[in-house]
Amino acid sequence: MGQRLYVLSSGRLRRQQNTLVLETDEGKRFFPVEQVDEIHVFGEIDLNKRLLSFLTQQRIPVHFYNYHGYYIGTYYPREHYNSGYMILRQAEYYLDECKRLDLARRFVDGALFNLYKVVRYYRNRGKPLENVESSIESHRSRLDDLHDIAALMQAEGQAREAYYSAFDIILDDPDFAFEQRSRRPPRNRINALISFGNSLLYTAVLSEIYHTHLDPRIGFLHATNFRRFSLNLDVAEIFKPALVDRVIFSLVAKKQIQSRDFSEELEGLYLNDRGRRVFLEAWEKRLASTFRHRGLRRNVSYRRAIRLELYKIEKHLMGEKPYTPFHLRW
Amino acid sequence: MSDRITGTLIWYAMICEREVWLMAHEIEPDRDDARLEWGRFLGEMSYPRSRKREISLSGMRLDVVERRGTRLVVGEIKASSRFVEATRMQMLFYLWRLREMGVEAEGELRFPEERRRERVVLDVDAEARLAEVLARVETILEQPLPPAAKRIRYCRACAYREFCWSDEED
Repeated sequence: MGQRLYVLSSGRLRRQQNTLVLETDEGKRFFPVEQVDEIHVFGEIDLNKRLLSFLTQQRIPVHFYNYHGYYIGTYYPREHYNSGYMILRQAEYYLDECKRLDLARRFVDGALFNLYKVVRYYRNRGKPLENVESSIESHRSRLDDLHDIAALMQAEGQAREAYYSAFDIILDDPDFAFEQRSRRPPRNRINALISFGNSLLYTAVLSEIYHTHLDPRIGFLHATNFRRFSLNLDVAEIFKPALVDRVIFSLVAKKQIQSRDFSEELEGLYLNDRGRRVFLEAWEKRLASTFRHRGLRRNVSYRRAIRLELYKIEKHLMGEKPYTPFHLRW
Repeated sequence: MSDRITGTLIWYAMICEREVWLMAHEIEPDRDDARLEWGRFLGEMSYPRSRKREISLSGMRLDVVERRGTRLVVGEIKASSRFVEATRMQMLFYLWRLREMGVEAEGELRFPEERRRERVVLDVDAEARLAEVLARVETILEQPLPPAAKRIRYCRACAYREFCWSDEED
């Protein structure tokens, strides 16, 4: 099983025979290519075509982030799993209004269930979250009555808004006041953490999609325009509460991330280098943590759970088994 | 006969019918699976001294093709003899295909890790058994859905296990 290479420093990434080399001011670091599954580039990196062909041959996707840690794009090597059958099924489910709506509804339902679970968890620990909980539940219960994608997206947005209002109660830390969701730029620390975490989740799901027969450009809830990846956004909704939010709560509660880990720029607030390192470490740990999977009858990591989710979607598209989203069990 | 049938499908037909359907629909198993990698490696690294050549014909990839005197021998390399009956059937399929092309050959199963070889000949009896399997594969391929997942001993070692058992409620 490979690892993920996070490049935070600046320099040159290149191929040297059959290894990857990162050259920085501090010297050369070698990474055996067999051990690398995907690369995430945060620093200013020079690279050439020779490296890209090597990465294609080794089937390693590369995700790029800008100066602020926002996702820019992915070098997605030529598809290595290809099934004409599966792509046609995926397109069929996209084009058929009923089938698309049904699948989109399943994504939203899974997302809302997991939001509810997080709130429930903290409510059980004495936090006054009754209103938030019932608000999420009421949005979830009306999903069956919604008959277009826009309405589903809206319900999801409203449930999430209610959910975010729980953040201040859960975190209870003036340094990490939530206030409201602000994306570009994030206006406070908690928003910066959410944005960074979501970017990481989108790319993690995309990397897993690369190992399946699904086409990442055909999403069901998020609009497809065949230029951008969107299936990963659909699947990410299910896992945000379990992965991103959980990491944030834990980092803040344990004071592993503090105000000094952010820098203020152009009205926005962003994680600085140290902050990113801390976040990435916790992120990797979270993805590697395991739980007992009832179908496989063994422990699987959350990263693997993302892959399994994609397999379930494949089976849904094949018409074999209706997709039931991953449920947090706390 | 459908030309979608390959040696690999015959092999799978002896073990798991679901695998046959998935394979035929290009839903390949997880290529990072350690056992698959091991099999590929073994095929490449075994018998360095023999003048083996891998030959690809439609629906078959012959690991080894050798001429021994007047006889033509095709070999199939496997990591273990655990599924020897499936491997025999796969070989019979190759021999039968070759015969259709006007080439008479005999087969040899090779298990390098066990230092063992086994001869396979396409006689009348074998041909009847093969015909039965071929018919079964045809039936599977005609189905719109894959045969349902069933827990068998092989699941534990199968590269499709996560695909088949990804649902939580089972």
